[in-house]
Amino acid sequence: MAHLSRRSVLRGSVALGAARLLAAPHIAKAAATTATVWFAQGFVQDEDVALRKAVADYEKASGNKIELSIIPFAPHRQKVVSAITSGVVPDMTMSNPNEILQLFAWQDKWLEVSDVVETQQAQFSETALLAAQAYNSVTKKRGFYGVPLRAAVVPCHIWGSLVEKAGLRTEDIPKTWDAYFDFFKKVQDNLRKQGERKVYGLGFQVTANGVDPANLFNAFLIAYGGQDIVTKDGKLHLDDPKVRQAAIKAAGYLGGAYRDGYVPPSAINWNDADDNNAFHAKLMVMDVDGTLSTEVAVKDKHPEWYYKDIVTQGIGYPSDNAGKPVPSIVGVTQGLIPKGAKNVTVAKEFLKYFIQPKVIGEFIELGLGRWLPVMPSLAKSAFWQNPKDPHLRGYIQQGLLGPTRPDYYVFNPAMAEVYSEHVWSMAMIDVAKEGVKPEAAIEKAFKRIEEIFAKYKIA
Amino acid sequence: MIDGASVVGVGRPAIRRGTLSRSLRGGLKGGEYTWAVAFVVPYIAVFVAFVAYPVVYGLWMGSEISLYRELFADPIYQSTVVNTVLYLALGVNVKMFLALLLSGFFMRPGWWMKVLLLIFVLPWAVPQISTFISIHWMLNGEWGFLNNALYTLFHVEGPSWLNDRWMALGAVIVSHIWKWTPFWTLILLAGRMAIPLEIRDSARVDGATGVRGFVHITFPLLANLYLICTLLSTIFLLGDFNAVTFVSGGGPANSTHVLATLGIRDAFELAHPRLGVAAVMTALPLVIPLVIVLMRKLRTAEVQL
Repeated sequence: MAHLSRRSVLRGSVALGAARLLAAPHIAKAAATTATVWFAQGFVQDEDVALRKAVADYEKASGNKIELSIIPFAPHRQKVVSAITSGVVPDMTMSNPNEILQLFAWQDKWLEVSDVVETQQAQFSETALLAAQAYNSVTKKRGFYGVPLRAAVVPCHIWGSLVEKAGLRTEDIPKTWDAYFDFFKKVQDNLRKQGERKVYGLGFQVTANGVDPANLFNAFLIAYGGQDIVTKDGKLHLDDPKVRQAAIKAAGYLGGAYRDGYVPPSAINWNDADDNNAFHAKLMVMDVDGTLSTEVAVKDKHPEWYYKDIVTQGIGYPSDNAGKPVPSIVGVTQGLIPKGAKNVTVAKEFLKYFIQPKVIGEFIELGLGRWLPVMPSLAKSAFWQNPKDPHLRGYIQQGLLGPTRPDYYVFNPAMAEVYSEHVWSMAMIDVAKEGVKPEAAIEKAFKRIEEIFAKYKIA
Repeated sequence: MIDGASVVGVGRPAIRRGTLSRSLRGGLKGGEYTWAVAFVVPYIAVFVAFVAYPVVYGLWMGSEISLYRELFADPIYQSTVVNTVLYLALGVNVKMFLALLLSGFFMRPGWWMKVLLLIFVLPWAVPQISTFISIHWMLNGEWGFLNNALYTLFHVEGPSWLNDRWMALGAVIVSHIWKWTPFWTLILLAGRMAIPLEIRDSARVDGATGVRGFVHITFPLLANLYLICTLLSTIFLLGDFNAVTFVSGGGPANSTHVLATLGIRDAFELAHPRLGVAAVMTALPLVIPLVIVLMRKLRTAEVQL
């Protein structure tokens, strides 16, 4: 055995160093064609399969390499926040949650990507284009910091079988807002008379967890006429009497339904998945919940539920109490390139490839339609217009073809903080559980919203 | 003429330098010293990378005074501090006291005691996240096991256990005690078994049996170990995230957070990592004295049980 001396170790080290130097150009060349991309894991496995296929197709077409990480939903969010904070960033990530685009654009943490968006600008819906923009408080300008990939809207999911069991028909569900939701109170009353001990009419997420409660409250706020709470210029309008009245009515209806026993008691502590589970357990007759995940999750195991028992109405939201259509808030998932990304060129090339209608359309359809496309032309496909599917046509009508609008944080990231602090939730819970009058609950909420907005002044 | 004293005096600095150099080198010479450095460097690098750097980075992230102003003004933080104190006070002390009693019980002879011990440690042995999720579901007011059992057996409608702050926090504390009592029981059992038989036998001869034996012999000998375990458990519990997250979820309405879960919420839900770090940093005034006392006790424990 050779004797290991200090010199031999030093010689070996020098040789290794030299070898590394010689190898470096190849590594550098490889790095120039490789981009690190982070995506959140899909709710169903098909979503991840679809993503991997799109990435493989891109690699084949371009000769570049994508180092794809598919990370579970919550850890992905943590990883993105940590990466932006530490400065060790991927070349591209999807937005998770979507408002991360506006929150970090405010701090000048994303790269402007209008050159990527431009390649398909004519294809995108107006809502998608609005949602891809954000205000940068450093440059004092609004710009495209996101590339729209897919979208989601908040449909109403109904157990048609429970409605029928209550001696009523889904065809008879009223078409105006309050009457529509009151109908399910009647369903519950009828079911209770039949001895059903644990069925509730409404699956309202009056909780301070997750994204569902803000979506729910916003739907009611808009339906009651408070849509101008934040306008496109990023200004807050809490002094508008219409906004105040709408917020009071929303807190009153949602909290009141809980207080009166029409919402499962555990809803006050639900997380985003709990309402789906409760719905599948037939704990409530209807749920107002984002995406078609409620239906898609049971398609394989319980096809009769998907095709027969669960109804999504197919009409979007009911009209407001005056009979006017209520626009649905659309959440748009964006592709984002952080500042400090090492391979911006490949990241941009990949995004340009990925948002081609054929590619992104196939990606969304392979994901079983849980997510919506952001290009109206894609709504015409056989997949979305399949007459045998009871949900897809209604879903795409509500989230892409019907009246839609982006979320409020698009205009001012302060609203993202309002959601994550669960200001609306606390107002609902104050009414639902603490016996607070809606006026007082909203007064408290507005005070907090004003404090949050004071931190985000838009010139 | 040069006298002896001068010779010694001239030679002394050189000898001193040599001694100092040898002392710094730990008595190692030439190549030995180089090898020693080569072996130590990776450990220092690992320590700097994985211990020193994260601690300093954390301190730096939570160093702005404005963060603490924001934190102290948050009503959720205020209730979180109360929850943390209750969680520590009840969670640690009830658990350790139970562990002390149970360790005495498991000292009994017999094969069935060994079987019972095996069953007893199961809650600790199974993965904690799945068990906490099971408890969360068990306590569900509408379809949870507990309320269904109450209704089936007694026709009683149970409450919504996790809808009230104090019941939800109680559920978290009980879950923690259930999960970790077996572990500390095993530690204290090992401590009891280390007490020499001669001491116990001679105490018995002197009439110190039962409670008297425990008060005058067993507990004084176990006292140091008990205190160290209590301190360690307090430090572990301060950083505990799982029980709150998976049993109560910090709800209802963010009313059952502890500092660890609030830190995660602020860092990632509010996308404000510095605020999250600041929330956790506010536990330092409690952690540092605990660590100091623990270190001192560990030193004295070398000569005691």
